[in-house]
Amino acid sequence: MSTTMLTLILLIIMIAAFVLSSIKLKSPDISMAVAAVVLAIAGTIAVPELGNPVRYLVEGLFVNLDLALLFIAASIFVNIYAHSGAIAAITRGVVEKINNKWILMSIMGVLMLIPGALTGAGSVAIFVLGGLVNTVLEYLGISQKKRTVFICFFAMLSAACPPINLWTMLMTAQANMPYVGFTWLLLIPIVIAGAFTIVFVGWGAKPQNKEETLAKFPPKDPKLKWWRIVLPFVAIVGLFLLALYDPWGLPVLGLPLMFLIAGLVALLCNPKKTTFKEYLGILDDTMEQVFPLVANVLSIGVLQSAMAATGVRGLIGSTAVGLPLVLIYVLIIIVGPICQGCFNYGVSIVLGGPLIFMFNTLGMDVTVICAALSLIFPLGDTLPPSRIVGRLACETTEYKESYLSFFKTLVLPMLFLGAMGVAMMVLHSKLAFLY
Amino acid sequence: MEKKALIFKVSALVVALVLALIAGIEFWQLRHYKETIVASEDLTEIKWFSDYVPSLKNTWMDTPVFIFDSGVEGGTVFVCGCPHPYEPASTMAAYLMIENIHVEKGKVIIVPRANYSGSTDGMLGDAYPKFFHVSSDWGITQYRIGDRYTNPLDQWPDPFTYINYPSGQNLAYQDIRNLNRTYPGRENGTLTERAAYAILEIIRNEGVDMAIDMHEAEILYPVTSTYVAPPTVLDREKFLETGEVVYYEPERSSLDVAMWAGMTLSEQFLMKYSASPKTLHGLSHREWADWSDTLVFLMETPEIFIDKITGPRTEALMTEGKDEFLQNVTDKGLTYFPYEMDFGTPMWYRVGRHLSGALEVVLDTAMFYPELECICSWPTYLEMKEIEESGKDSVGAFLKDPNAPENKDRAFTIYYKPVGDNYDKYMK
Repeated sequence: MSTTMLTLILLIIMIAAFVLSSIKLKSPDISMAVAAVVLAIAGTIAVPELGNPVRYLVEGLFVNLDLALLFIAASIFVNIYAHSGAIAAITRGVVEKINNKWILMSIMGVLMLIPGALTGAGSVAIFVLGGLVNTVLEYLGISQKKRTVFICFFAMLSAACPPINLWTMLMTAQANMPYVGFTWLLLIPIVIAGAFTIVFVGWGAKPQNKEETLAKFPPKDPKLKWWRIVLPFVAIVGLFLLALYDPWGLPVLGLPLMFLIAGLVALLCNPKKTTFKEYLGILDDTMEQVFPLVANVLSIGVLQSAMAATGVRGLIGSTAVGLPLVLIYVLIIIVGPICQGCFNYGVSIVLGGPLIFMFNTLGMDVTVICAALSLIFPLGDTLPPSRIVGRLACETTEYKESYLSFFKTLVLPMLFLGAMGVAMMVLHSKLAFLY
Repeated sequence: MEKKALIFKVSALVVALVLALIAGIEFWQLRHYKETIVASEDLTEIKWFSDYVPSLKNTWMDTPVFIFDSGVEGGTVFVCGCPHPYEPASTMAAYLMIENIHVEKGKVIIVPRANYSGSTDGMLGDAYPKFFHVSSDWGITQYRIGDRYTNPLDQWPDPFTYINYPSGQNLAYQDIRNLNRTYPGRENGTLTERAAYAILEIIRNEGVDMAIDMHEAEILYPVTSTYVAPPTVLDREKFLETGEVVYYEPERSSLDVAMWAGMTLSEQFLMKYSASPKTLHGLSHREWADWSDTLVFLMETPEIFIDKITGPRTEALMTEGKDEFLQNVTDKGLTYFPYEMDFGTPMWYRVGRHLSGALEVVLDTAMFYPELECICSWPTYLEMKEIEESGKDSVGAFLKDPNAPENKDRAFTIYYKPVGDNYDKYMK
């Protein structure tokens, strides 16, 4: 049997295992792990030389370990910060002082971009600011579905936003390119897509009565001085700036530890009398809240490992790069995000790297192409099996209707950004002035 | 219902623990497996990275440096094996050099496992086999396939972006654990930066005239089957005094030598040449030349495992390199190597390329710059090809049995610290 046929059968087995498991268990995370195990077993039966699959399945758990730790640490920071009443105070201040709907939405959009731009993970933007943005948008009279779209889309944009775009980083590392020259290539399309989404979400919305909205907030805490609100953010931003501008003077802390330090600052700035037991309760709740996401990124690493070992990854990657150029332009907007849904950041390695090499062979400007792909891939964070950002946005706004109904509304901004990415690929040589 | 849930949870925990134990044993085996090699009779001295950067002592980044000094004045050659452990032909080529080298003039310094730590774990998410095997007349020997990066057990966490020293250039975050992105290194930096600094110290302190860095590359990558050498070098004094980056053409050009060597080798196999870019920092072919006076040559062999888009990732794929998917993309004109699946990219071919590739630059450097002449020999691509044609494993044919009585005095276990008595005889 040819490798193509064999891996195609294995791909079908994997998909069948995922679908059946999803129907039975109603959990995409466990279903991904089940699909990975079934695929690994089927692969070992078909290709006994692969040997014992346990090692590479367990290795897969470590692929996204850093990301999982970042999710946990960022959530701990935010929950301690929120417990101090700071987030409610900021929201109250914003609603009180800013009256223009578009300005308010733009501020929320820019704020949403920052956490992902600094960490490379859109989910962190939702963890840190999703609740606050949801409250403000609710005050602006925006429907729950469109609030979810706003939070989800800006989280995706924040992941793609410079200075830290993990897709670009991984592709440049594979292609031996420096990680420089991407700022404007990424930022300009993000600003355009963000502005489009603000108009799309905000059009026709009528703000609620300000006094009634403010009445819903917890009462002001006189002990919560401005410095108590600002210091935790100063801590996290300060650590980022130190790491960027004095990289050789400090030991490498890593993002999770940076957020934990900021969490400690938030704890020290908390004006409420909080017992040790209450803090343990916050940690417990945080783990409960973040656990599905941690399970998700760990499971996807396991699936990624199984797909690599069995050759299913090779089937997808080699088929994609072997397509005619026109078809790549047409399909990248679908195939790219689907692969993101399957491989998470691994899409940069499986699909991005080979595509960069392919475009390089054709004499195209790979810096622009790399930026374009880095805008398209994040769209897959709303697609199964992982749909990390989409799911988190739904949880943040407590959106209870079907995921599909939310996704249908999200499609338009996604297509807008995707089309810009494809346009960048087609017009690559004309955009070289941006770097 | 609660009891049922509890039973399920306990069962899940037990299964997880059993799987963790099975995987843990395999991780431990990879971490602690020790390779043994037999150095040639020309061995004169063994040093360690920690002799150049003392803080590396007793870390998993310390590694032996084998020195073969003819005692006759001539050029000094440095060969770096295993900068990226997941490119195992680099290590095997270094091992075959150490086992078979004969030096008549000048000095040869070989580091077989430059990133020892990185050789002790696997490529996460890439499902690499742990080991590959080589058969000889005297038995089958097992060798590790490692990671591209330093083992996170030894250096972790990563920053959110890696900033190369001293260029200040931003690189991908995980490249802080990539030896070939951390040059010229820092004496007090991360473990990987210290190893990079140790290599620069070897080049500077031992008066290295030719430095050869052995790698493997995906065939989708333009620089596969290629020498990379710098046409210009940094004006160090100006940079250190003013911070200004100025490049100039050095008196001796490694790119000229690489071009000549590539042309000479083209009768045996495809060997291109490429100029090291001034704009990409941290790599040996840029920083070794910028921060020392050596001639630098980086060599890439074709290795399809790195291409990612392969079929099932078995040991045979690593040692034979036969893959239908890569044939398909080659047929569409997307690869930079004339890949033929019937032949593949076998281990002997990749090792042989490195051996002849390194020897050729040593020979051609002497032709261009007679004052740097180093006369040395080790197995070549053509010799290996001849053995392969007779049906034998040519890599194994050049390996010596460490248990044979005549070899016992020169058998060295490769580990992050000396193992056995033999090291003592050669460490001054």
